[in-house]
Amino acid sequence: MEQPASLSSPDVLVEAVARGSEPALRRLYALESARLYGIALRIVRRPDIAAEVLQDAFVQIWRNAGSFAPERGAAAAWLTGIVRFRALDALRGQGREIPSGDSALGDVAVEPDVLAKLDADADAAALRRCLGQLEENQRSSVMLAFVDGFSHADIAKRLSAPLGTVKSWVRRGLIALKACLSP
Amino acid sequence: MIPRDPQERDAIAGEYVLGTLDEERAGEIRHALARDPELRAAVTFWEKKLHPLSVLADPADPPPGTWTAIAARISPAATRAPSRRSAIARWQWATGGFAAIAAALLLYVVAAPRAPLQPSSSTTVAVLQSSQTRSAGWVALLGPSGLRLSELTRQTPPAMHAYELWSIAPHTTRPVPLGVIPATGEMRVAVLPEGVGAGATLAISIEPPGGSPTGLPTGPIVYTGVLRAS
Repeated sequence: MEQPASLSSPDVLVEAVARGSEPALRRLYALESARLYGIALRIVRRPDIAAEVLQDAFVQIWRNAGSFAPERGAAAAWLTGIVRFRALDALRGQGREIPSGDSALGDVAVEPDVLAKLDADADAAALRRCLGQLEENQRSSVMLAFVDGFSHADIAKRLSAPLGTVKSWVRRGLIALKACLSP
Repeated sequence: MIPRDPQERDAIAGEYVLGTLDEERAGEIRHALARDPELRAAVTFWEKKLHPLSVLADPADPPPGTWTAIAARISPAATRAPSRRSAIARWQWATGGFAAIAAALLLYVVAAPRAPLQPSSSTTVAVLQSSQTRSAGWVALLGPSGLRLSELTRQTPPAMHAYELWSIAPHTTRPVPLGVIPATGEMRVAVLPEGVGAGATLAISIEPPGGSPTGLPTGPIVYTGVLRAS
């Protein structure tokens, strides 16, 4: 049985998809596809590949929704995770090179007031506060990896830093973030 | 090896979510996740906590036809409706391809000298298509003596990996393992788990040589097809 009135949040929809409801998957697509396609496109940078990533992701969502442990508010992050992993796989398939000539790549992640663009909700506020406490290079490294799908080597190129230094920025940035974000 | 030190585990889980681990290390984590609840919690922590950053990617409308392609890949009903106006050309082609292959296959069953499966009304067929290219790679026949899988064209898994066959019963989402496909590209499954019948989806994933260590696919699903009564 479908309950159209209540099928409006990713959490409710993913639960319905887990029970095998194709209409719920269709609603989930209507609700989330633009957001998820944007995430994939930012990482793979090619509309045709991003569309394939989105397709594969929704087929995977259909198959794996049953194994998703529901936690309120977590479905959107779960969907993002699936799309990001698919996109990163596709990028690795291409050799994971930053295309030359596109010097604007990664600009959003490293612009000075980027943290102001995050949403106003509690989770985003905590992340903004904790990212704000990181050393600038650590923050940029974490953000370039998450938002643009940059590898250590990509980040090293973008920030003109040695590879080993970037590896340690990412690692130390994460350790500091974990300490700050944990209750 | 997954580190035992909590701080190291958190850091590596974070790198896994960021995608900065090399492929080998990421594979280790992926495999360990199924049997390591703490590691799973660490990965979920990062997915949830870093998620607000995803708003930095501007939303964009996916190309038209994307939903149709998804619907075609997940729904047995969609594959039986090639006349749907919204069906994209590629899918119509694939559906036509299915019919042609199924017809050719019945001939094969009749002609094959040692074929134990008779083309009776109880024969159920699935053509497994590549998730990437939609080309038909395998055919599965379900009959009184079990399920027989054969490659239609030569199928070779990536180096140091094997193909594993899965079944997903209708109205469920959990894949049940049917076994690692031998390098010959031919497999028979005599004793079938519940739910393998018309309407079930068969899927082939890429796994470590001995098959998935977790009982669920750990690598990408590369072929899928739905069993249908022929």
